[in-house]
Amino acid sequence: MPVKGIKTVAAARNGVGAFILQCKRLDFHYCNYGGSSRGMLAFLTQTLPNFARENPQIEIRVSPRHSKHPIIKGHYINGREKSICVRNLEPNDILAKAMILKDASGEKLKVQKKPVTSLNESVRGIWSPYHGDLRGV
Amino acid sequence: MKRVQLQRWSSTVLSPRARTVSRLHQHVFATGSRCQSTASPLQAESSAQEGPGDAGFEDVELMKHVRSAHRRKDMLKYPSPPVDAALNSAKLAALHARLYLPSRLPPQTLARALVDASADPNPDFNNESLATLGHDLLTYYTTEHLLCTYPRLPLTVIFAAMYAYAGPKTLAAMAREWGVEHASLPGGEVDPGLLQFRRVAPGSDLSVATYNNRTPRPYAAQKAWRMTVTSKIFYDDEFGDAIKGPATSGEGVTAELASATFVRAVMGAIYLHAGRPAAKRFFEQHFLSRHLNIAQLFNFSQPARDLARLCARENFELPVARIISETGRKSRHPVFVVGIFSGKDKLGEGAGASLIEARERAALAALKGWYLYSPLNVRVPSSMEEEGAAPWKPVYVDLGEVIV
Repeated sequence: MPVKGIKTVAAARNGVGAFILQCKRLDFHYCNYGGSSRGMLAFLTQTLPNFARENPQIEIRVSPRHSKHPIIKGHYINGREKSICVRNLEPNDILAKAMILKDASGEKLKVQKKPVTSLNESVRGIWSPYHGDLRGV
Repeated sequence: MKRVQLQRWSSTVLSPRARTVSRLHQHVFATGSRCQSTASPLQAESSAQEGPGDAGFEDVELMKHVRSAHRRKDMLKYPSPPVDAALNSAKLAALHARLYLPSRLPPQTLARALVDASADPNPDFNNESLATLGHDLLTYYTTEHLLCTYPRLPLTVIFAAMYAYAGPKTLAAMAREWGVEHASLPGGEVDPGLLQFRRVAPGSDLSVATYNNRTPRPYAAQKAWRMTVTSKIFYDDEFGDAIKGPATSGEGVTAELASATFVRAVMGAIYLHAGRPAAKRFFEQHFLSRHLNIAQLFNFSQPARDLARLCARENFELPVARIISETGRKSRHPVFVVGIFSGKDKLGEGAGASLIEARERAALAALKGWYLYSPLNVRVPSSMEEEGAAPWKPVYVDLGEVIV
């Protein structure tokens, strides 16, 4: 056989064709009794329906958590979770926290050192010492 | 001496099915809040608590609870969730929106695409028919894309590229990237937004199932016989592998296979509900947008010999390898840059630590330069199905790879 094929898997490039939002679920936990949940209760009744309507791709769960501070927990496609405590926050601030969780990729935060990361080869190619004019020292 | 806490110890050892007598589970079951559970259905030992004849209650709230409990107990009878449950599933609606599926595709069909044949053998409720249609569409679109974009690819590389774009491994990875979760066990009470299939029993030998295939190839039992590439087109599937027969009922499937069937079923569902243009767009956005470097799929055994045969077939002059530059021939790290020339044309160039290695690399570069030819302005046959399409011009068809 002159040439064989090597079986691989084509790599995903989210956003090149379709874009899949990485946050798949948001859990909102509140307490009916505690004072730190006052803003959260207002958020759940006033802001959350609109937020859910604007982001249909996120499954939203609301559940009480007795005598605990209110939290928002995001579940991501890569299997990780992120949670933010929203005690004593106003509804607007809670919405900002929910947007943070919605926009996150689920990965751990890391410093991006290169301006571009790409699967494609460099167009210019890698510099070769054996090509081009040789210069005397 | 401390006593062993038997209750706790037993709960870690026993499966949830065996713990039906625990008070918590009885309570949960009686109130019927297992609607979105992924656990296996509890065998109804406490089902005699509320008979159907208790219609005399005046408490409306209580009656509502009783009715819903009855409904959920009815759901336990079905192998897969009932059709109307799809409208109440948040998971399913979120998946529908996450994939930007057309609104003409109802959530009920998406729920059906999530039910594997191993979960529900009834073809009216599982995704087998949708997956068959989706599989044909996928292979058609992928094949025409590959053949028209790279008309000179060897068949083995086409098989590998097909596998990379539409193989079960890729489809399973796509299902994972779409955020599809698996149910532990299929059942009527499970959330319809979960992928439902019966798993392979742990420890079962998967290679036995492949041995038991139903390929149309004659003399398939003769494993030692040589199988030509051409025969793979006739007898094997689109990846050059032997065709496997349908899974017998009662057996489980792997998570990879069930995920792949789901992705195919989504493709078929889009075609059925939203039509061909939507299916094609879905294919381009989710499948063709993936990154695949076709140049890395080649595995040559003797590139210099192949190149010589190719030049003989195409009436080029015999390829000759010449040193372009070199450094450190007598040192520990020599580098030779070798070019392969056919007459005055340089076909390829490669650098290596020995003359042989550099020549092989140069021949490899020359062969890839030939096989990876891609015409400009590629059109695929299915583009003629669009309205107002320009007249069809025949695409470039190549002789094929050299036969050595």
